[in-house]
Amino acid sequence: MRKVYLFLMVFIAAGCFSQNKQILYNFTTVPQSLMTNPGADVSYKFYFGVPLLSGISGNVGSTSFSAYDLFADNGVDFNTKLLNVVHRSSQNDKLVFNEQLEVFSGGFKLGDWLENKGYISFGMYQEFDFMMFMPKDVAILALEGNRDYLGKSFNLGDLSLKTEMLSVLHVGFHKNVTDRLVLGGRAKIYSSAFNATSTKNSGYIYTVPGTTTAYEQVIYSDLQLNTAGIAAYTAEGYEGDVARDIRKKMLFGGDLGLGFDLGLTYYPKKNIQFTASILDVGFVKHSKDVETFTYKGYYKYEGVNPNFDGTNTPDNAYQQFVDAIPLDTIYNAYKTWRPIKFNSSYQYSFNDSRGGADCNCSVSESQYKNAIGAQLFVMTTPRAPMAALTGYYRRNLFDKLEMKATYTVDSYSYKNIGLGMSSTLGAFNVYLMADNLLEYRDLAKANSLSFQFGFNFIFKDSNSPY
Amino acid sequence: MLLMLLSFSCSSKLDFDQVNDFKLEPVFIANLSAFEIPANQFVVNGMEQNMVFGAKDFDIFRDASFQKNLRRADFFFEINNTINKSYTIDILLLDGNDQLLETISFIVPAYSGTQKLITQTEVFENARVDLLKRTKKMEFVITMGAGPALNANSPGSLKLRSSATVYLLVE
Repeated sequence: MRKVYLFLMVFIAAGCFSQNKQILYNFTTVPQSLMTNPGADVSYKFYFGVPLLSGISGNVGSTSFSAYDLFADNGVDFNTKLLNVVHRSSQNDKLVFNEQLEVFSGGFKLGDWLENKGYISFGMYQEFDFMMFMPKDVAILALEGNRDYLGKSFNLGDLSLKTEMLSVLHVGFHKNVTDRLVLGGRAKIYSSAFNATSTKNSGYIYTVPGTTTAYEQVIYSDLQLNTAGIAAYTAEGYEGDVARDIRKKMLFGGDLGLGFDLGLTYYPKKNIQFTASILDVGFVKHSKDVETFTYKGYYKYEGVNPNFDGTNTPDNAYQQFVDAIPLDTIYNAYKTWRPIKFNSSYQYSFNDSRGGADCNCSVSESQYKNAIGAQLFVMTTPRAPMAALTGYYRRNLFDKLEMKATYTVDSYSYKNIGLGMSSTLGAFNVYLMADNLLEYRDLAKANSLSFQFGFNFIFKDSNSPY
Repeated sequence: MLLMLLSFSCSSKLDFDQVNDFKLEPVFIANLSAFEIPANQFVVNGMEQNMVFGAKDFDIFRDASFQKNLRRADFFFEINNTINKSYTIDILLLDGNDQLLETISFIVPAYSGTQKLITQTEVFENARVDLLKRTKKMEFVITMGAGPALNANSPGSLKLRSSATVYLLVE
């Protein structure tokens, strides 16, 4: 029991980090930037990622508390620290965990070396998502009870979580439609190995002083948890290997879905660049191993009240409660939408005394050594969308090394500094990006960390056939 | 770069074993029991009844994890008698075999024109809380005492409200 509670408590953690890949976005020397904007101005003759190592990314973190807040070795009782964390948070605090791993990726240019027929990119990645809002009221009720909260209505709608493991097979196309405009799109097939969604909950529990009874106590509950691909593992008699079965399902043995990304890059002037993308507009239809659990009902608890008519009326309070708010299991298929992400950027490029004279080549940002810009990121969540604003500086060093420094402000943090670099030696490309660098001063107090790295072989699209 | 970062980073001392200290100690308040008997209910076919009786299954502690985690329960009673008769109220806690585990008794004086609330708190702790966990049935026995005879038009009622404060310990 304690473990179950602890599990819940750990996830109560109020967090803030999203799938914002602000460093990778528009970092066009890295082909993986096509995954954040299918219309990114990326050119190549062909490229392929080192299998399993071409794109690894993860975010972990939380702002309203850190590992230090809960586990500091400072003599304060753990339960006190836990209570403090819960009280300090709000029900809009969330914990988001995201991990992506590219299984394979590659791309090639269509047509001959001088032709402009566009570029194909394709690949497959595996993704794990977890998002949970802070169930603050429910946590307070579990930790402290209702005695000190007479008159308070505990909101069961605070319960909101979503988790999914899936793999995505995708193919994208982008093309320089004019000298100034690049358009791109990507089609995706999702295969969901498992999904658990409980985002449309409502209900309340309250206790107020009563008249005929000591209190007026009411529970109204409209809770629903959809699960797919989980029932088989929790069923009695399951003796398989969970990890192996999940892997198998991810290779398109799971629930299938469809989606797309769209993006563009536009140069209103030679040194001004505008980009925008919308990602993961799509759904997954869950139909295998589906189990939906509901707790729906209304119950007013009045106590064990005798009639004095000489009989023992068999209406038992506990049974009444169980009947009023029953646990139902439904086996209907359901659909989930992928979190939609929107990115946009505006960039100004320039050269300085350190070199990079203007040339007469076609419009492309790469002739400039320096660029500054701003980016906007918005992502849908089960409640209000989350947004982040990033300012950045980009610099090309010796054509082999490109660096990007970012400063990001979002509703949770105003001091997120990130740094990314991509180095290309011959055809071999290495990239590495990390944000929240200030947090590295004390990892225990870090609220969030994220990183991306990978290895590719990129064969440049040159203006000569060889 | 990541390695460089990690090599420059520090970490405050953390003690993850504190998880073992984790426990929940919520305190809940809930209705226990309530009734109101009008004076005329003590008169049946013109005859005064000296005793009325009610019984009720008591299953609110049936849930297994609730049983396990129940550490203490305080019962709080409030009685308001507006009948010109004194009463004795006995609340009997019985187990599954109708064996008596516990009796909670109240002496209620007759109403004399001014409201007089009788309050009483019963604390169930240690061995006594185990009796509570075995309780399957509550019986209410009301015995009428001295006072002028009642008839079908006698005013007033005997009212009881009670609540439980339940202390849980989950570890």
